Amino acid sequence: MTQTEHLIKQLPTELGGLDAGPIARVEHVLEPWEKRCHALADVLDFHKIINTEEKRRGVEALGAEAVGSLSYYERWIVAFANILFQKAILTPDELARKMDEVSARYQSEIIACER
Amino acid sequence: MTEHAHDHTPAAELSAVPGYYEIMETAVRELLTEKRLFGPGEIRRQIEVLDSRTPALGAKVVARAWVDPAFRARLLANGRRACEEFGITFYDDTDLIVLENTDKVHNLIVCTLCSCYPRPVLGLPPDWYKLKPYRARAVKDPRTLLAEFGTVIPDDVEIRVSDSTAMVRYLVLPQRPAGTDAFTEEQLAALVTRDAMIGVVKAEMPEAKEALQ
Repeated sequence: MTQTEHLIKQLPTELGGLDAGPIARVEHVLEPWEKRCHALADVLDFHKIINTEEKRRGVEALGAEAVGSLSYYERWIVAFANILFQKAILTPDELARKMDEVSARYQSEIIACER
Repeated sequence: MTEHAHDHTPAAELSAVPGYYEIMETAVRELLTEKRLFGPGEIRRQIEVLDSRTPALGAKVVARAWVDPAFRARLLANGRRACEEFGITFYDDTDLIVLENTDKVHNLIVCTLCSCYPRPVLGLPPDWYKLKPYRARAVKDPRTLLAEFGTVIPDDVEIRVSDSTAMVRYLVLPQRPAGTDAFTEEQLAALVTRDAMIGVVKAEMPEAKEALQ
């Protein structure tokens, strides 16, 4: 066996059959934004904009470090953004501007609440 | 960041300001709505659909299969069609294969590549179903994994693990517990848990459940 063969026979994204620790029986109730993110995934699928396979490959394309560090729905929304860029439905600039706008809106809402 | 930096940040402010990814979610959703790729009400309606799906739906299907042999046969022949006949709509394109536990076979479901799950009948999966240890180990040593869930499968019983895909989802039809002959369909449904329909535990009488605790 060559020194790299094992890398090809089981890709890093294929977890089935790997050794792993005990099952920690963790569960959590979804945050509102996580549920919106899930609903967004379904709506993107209904409209044939992003399907389940594309979503999975989009998450895998984030790379092992991001996959290991981001939470489940954090991975999803970043994958959606990247796929939407690839499909020329959104541009990175457009998303950056919109995120600034959304952030500023939240900040002004918080200031308004504090008054 | 110094180790004291967080001392100066009020907790209320931390919880009030949405994080980077939540802002990204809002921004993506608003941009796509502005471009009229979908209507603003569609996300809200889909959240209502998601909220309407819980393991109680799957439990009703299982209980019906236990009391109605003709329904059970239809369910095993075509899971999706039988569930739809039962009034459960499938909001996606997925097929459903129902796997029957018997004295000789115990079924377990997993998604090794991601988190595919029979959402129309069970709702969203628990976190542990989506995490590495379950996905990695379910296909390699299911007997040991099941024992961790308190489910000891005798050596002469075959364990079949079904790996879900984007298009094909599985649901385990657990064995009806002994001593439930007089139970109504509703009482039977109350014995069927989400974990029993994933296959990590069996459907059990309430006494047996309490004895384990």
